[in-house]
Amino acid sequence: MAPAGTSPDAGAGDDEISDHQLIEACQKRDAKAFETLVIRHRGRVYAMVQNMIKNEADAWDLSQEVFLKVWKALPKFEARAKFSTWLYRITHNVVYDWLRKRKIESAGELDDGILNESDIAAGARTTPTKIARPDDALANSELGRRINSALATLNTEHRETILLREVQGLDYKEIAKVMGCSLGTVMSRLYYARKKLQTLLCDEKGKD
Amino acid sequence: MKKEKTEELIVKWIDGQLTSEEEVQLAGLFQENENLEAELQEMKSVSESVTEKIPASVDPPYCDFFGSQLMRKVDLEIQSRTPSKIGERLVKSFQWAWAPVGALALVLSFFAGHRISRPAEVTAAQEQEEGRLIQFLPTVYFAGESLEAEVISDSDGDVSAIFVHGLAAIRDDIDFATITTGAELPKSYARSEARRFD
Repeated sequence: MAPAGTSPDAGAGDDEISDHQLIEACQKRDAKAFETLVIRHRGRVYAMVQNMIKNEADAWDLSQEVFLKVWKALPKFEARAKFSTWLYRITHNVVYDWLRKRKIESAGELDDGILNESDIAAGARTTPTKIARPDDALANSELGRRINSALATLNTEHRETILLREVQGLDYKEIAKVMGCSLGTVMSRLYYARKKLQTLLCDEKGKD
Repeated sequence: MKKEKTEELIVKWIDGQLTSEEEVQLAGLFQENENLEAELQEMKSVSESVTEKIPASVDPPYCDFFGSQLMRKVDLEIQSRTPSKIGERLVKSFQWAWAPVGALALVLSFFAGHRISRPAEVTAAQEQEEGRLIQFLPTVYFAGESLEAEVISDSDGDVSAIFVHGLAAIRDDIDFATITTGAELPKSYARSEARRFD
């Protein structure tokens, strides 16, 4: 698992190919370069989608959809734009399209379905190596579990704002670009989302 | 102070992004409400917990399969946008044929004429009107049985479109420029029959 808080654009060290170089190669339809770009960014995209929709199987499919859209749209990507912001914008669109289709946005229902591992025979030759599960990091953390369930009760916009700011580390302007709203709206959403989270977590503490 | 401005100050204070001027403004708010600072400290610690406990990056389950599946879709996408090499070669190899075919079609459309078909029921008045209009239409000759042509004109006969269907060779020994009547053409050149004017 990649460490939290590192910038997705800073994925390359001195001896590695930079995102910029990879993007240029992808724009010339170099699939190998795209594969490298995917490996570099898939963790952040998947974490973002999974935290938004709380469903592993759908998050997996939607992350695929995000990267396929990225591949198709890369020829139009302008080098002066920040790749990570652009990537989060595509992720935002894919997630919101999905939510719209499922019509769960207004109802606030969140499907907590989990991929059934028992359906795959242990040791089967076709079983792919499993590296990590999204909730692994939280499984042994009570506070993590509480934060996760509090996040799930926020509305979609507030949840996304919190995730982009606190988890993905985007600045206010980047959040506004990703979510397609004004800076003032970002500030307001952050304020109310944080206040709601504080209330929810304090309420739970009170119950305990 | 406006509500929006207060919210902005609080958000920026939690993120440690206040300017010195904004710090003074917030200090004023702290003085007005002595519980505010403690409240914001709690809010800040919640934000820090979210950053600490929710991972920013999590590899998707079965990430090897994730990669291979995605690249398979990318390959399909590439293939769908690239025309098959065989098809491309065939198209290229027949490119030379388009020029003579086009030229032939132009020549034939110039000399070929129109065929006017008759509707099932035509009233006497319509027939009379058609007779008047038909005289303004050109007589068209067909170069052989394999060729068909039709003329679509406006009611004044000022604008015409000639559609030619099929291909037929034009004999080199005929000087079309000097021919004025169908009688001067070989028998294989059939005269069009004027039947209806649309």
